[in-house]
Amino acid sequence: MLVDTLRSFFQKPVTRLYPFERNASPERLRGKLHWNPDNCTGCCLCAKDCPSDAIEVITIDKKAKKFVMRYHADRCTYCAQCVQNCRFSCISMASGEWELASTSTEPFTVYYGNEADLEPLLGKAPPPAVDMP
Amino acid sequence: MSEAVVQDKKRFVVPIGPQHPALKEPGHFEFTVDGEIVTGATVRLGYAHRGIEKAVESRNWTQSLYLLERICGICSHVHAMTYCLGVEKLAGAEVPPRAQAIRVLVAELERVHSHLLWLGVAAHEAGFDTLFMYSWRDRETVMDLLESFTGNRVNYSANILGGVKCDVTPDLASAILKGVDFLEERSRHYLNVVTTDEVFLQRTRGVGTMSKEVAERLGVVGPTARASGVARDIRIEAPYAAYADFPVQIVLAEAGDLEARFVVRIKELFESYRLIHEVIDKLPPGELQTRMPRKIKAGETISRVEAPRGEAFYFIKSNGSDNPERIKVRTPTLCNMGSVVATAVGHQLADMPMILAGIDPCFSCNDRTVAVRDAAGALVTWESLRQRRLAHQENK
Repeated sequence: MLVDTLRSFFQKPVTRLYPFERNASPERLRGKLHWNPDNCTGCCLCAKDCPSDAIEVITIDKKAKKFVMRYHADRCTYCAQCVQNCRFSCISMASGEWELASTSTEPFTVYYGNEADLEPLLGKAPPPAVDMP
Repeated sequence: MSEAVVQDKKRFVVPIGPQHPALKEPGHFEFTVDGEIVTGATVRLGYAHRGIEKAVESRNWTQSLYLLERICGICSHVHAMTYCLGVEKLAGAEVPPRAQAIRVLVAELERVHSHLLWLGVAAHEAGFDTLFMYSWRDRETVMDLLESFTGNRVNYSANILGGVKCDVTPDLASAILKGVDFLEERSRHYLNVVTTDEVFLQRTRGVGTMSKEVAERLGVVGPTARASGVARDIRIEAPYAAYADFPVQIVLAEAGDLEARFVVRIKELFESYRLIHEVIDKLPPGELQTRMPRKIKAGETISRVEAPRGEAFYFIKSNGSDNPERIKVRTPTLCNMGSVVATAVGHQLADMPMILAGIDPCFSCNDRTVAVRDAAGALVTWESLRQRRLAHQENK
């Protein structure tokens, strides 16, 4: 053990100076959820099996298959069950977006969908929380 | 560690805990001492009860998986796997062999991380912080492997009802083998350290000795039992997942003291490394998942898995709906806690943290139910609590 200790005097520290030095995140890392409205059929299987009620699928027009997703990043446990459940590959989890901390609660409610569908929901005000800072 | 000496008429009682009794988890111990020597011990658990079993009843089968995975932050895969194996048994689902082999692979990687974590914690309790720092530095290797394999460092969420989510790619396989080979070399070094370092041996050799008879009588499980010569390993006795195809060699020691527990756990690491090699070499081809019904057939079953600390036990009952009716969990720490009380007698008070750390306790996992008694000593039931609340509201 003493040899170990002496040897580490001449080695670089194992720890990194985060946030100045960053590790590349692994490809499979489960980060922030992203939703693509194009293929969604509104089956809601993602919301049904979500263990933390983080997903809400809001129906705008059922016949025209227009849906909007309200995603609560603060409730999400990043288990990727929704990704597994979606048969149309609408949901993905971005491996690069994992620094999701914020000083306010607003950025945690994220709306996804086509702009035209989102407008009535968000009002005329510019969508403040469509994406996180 | 909070300590206060209570003077009884005849004896001194030293309470330790409930905050940080050696480890950073709550539990309360009372040691009766004669000078420095412990003459009796009692344990009280239940400070970290989270009501997971009850909460599961109001979630569907899939949602329950993720809640149960969070019972333990160290052996999360074991809990998810035990639950999945039980539910799949109830539903009569045939899980593809490749999925079962990947379950074994993640379980063994998890065992490596858990045993290295324990090695560090136990060394820290003995005051050997150098070993603590180095073993945790090396543990990062396996944590990074688990992260790139499953997508997270803890709560891997590799399991899904009916299979697994993540596959082994050739790149990943070579990264895992490389990491495991590095860890094997380091583990050899640590085995050498814990069996030859004179100062460290004074804290472990002959301390907390538990004979085979006592271990069998107390129903001790896992590496704690195997260090006392009790051949007890669910992976061998009742092979689950793919352990029938990838047999495990049992690691035993006879001494039953703390040193033996160190040796058994580190030797189990070698067994895990060998198994990881074998699984990757002979990974069966095929699908990763099979379809599972949303409603599970009515019935009840048990499911047992060898967690890093011993046997994890699940009782699962379904009434045919999409929620579980009852899930009972017993984690290995509960079985091993009796051995702390039994082996403490006759040792110095200063050895207590080491004896406690020797079973690799995980307090929050084992806190399943809390029995509350009122001043008269009668058990407080769910119904009486409800009545009390209603009466309280009326008085308002």
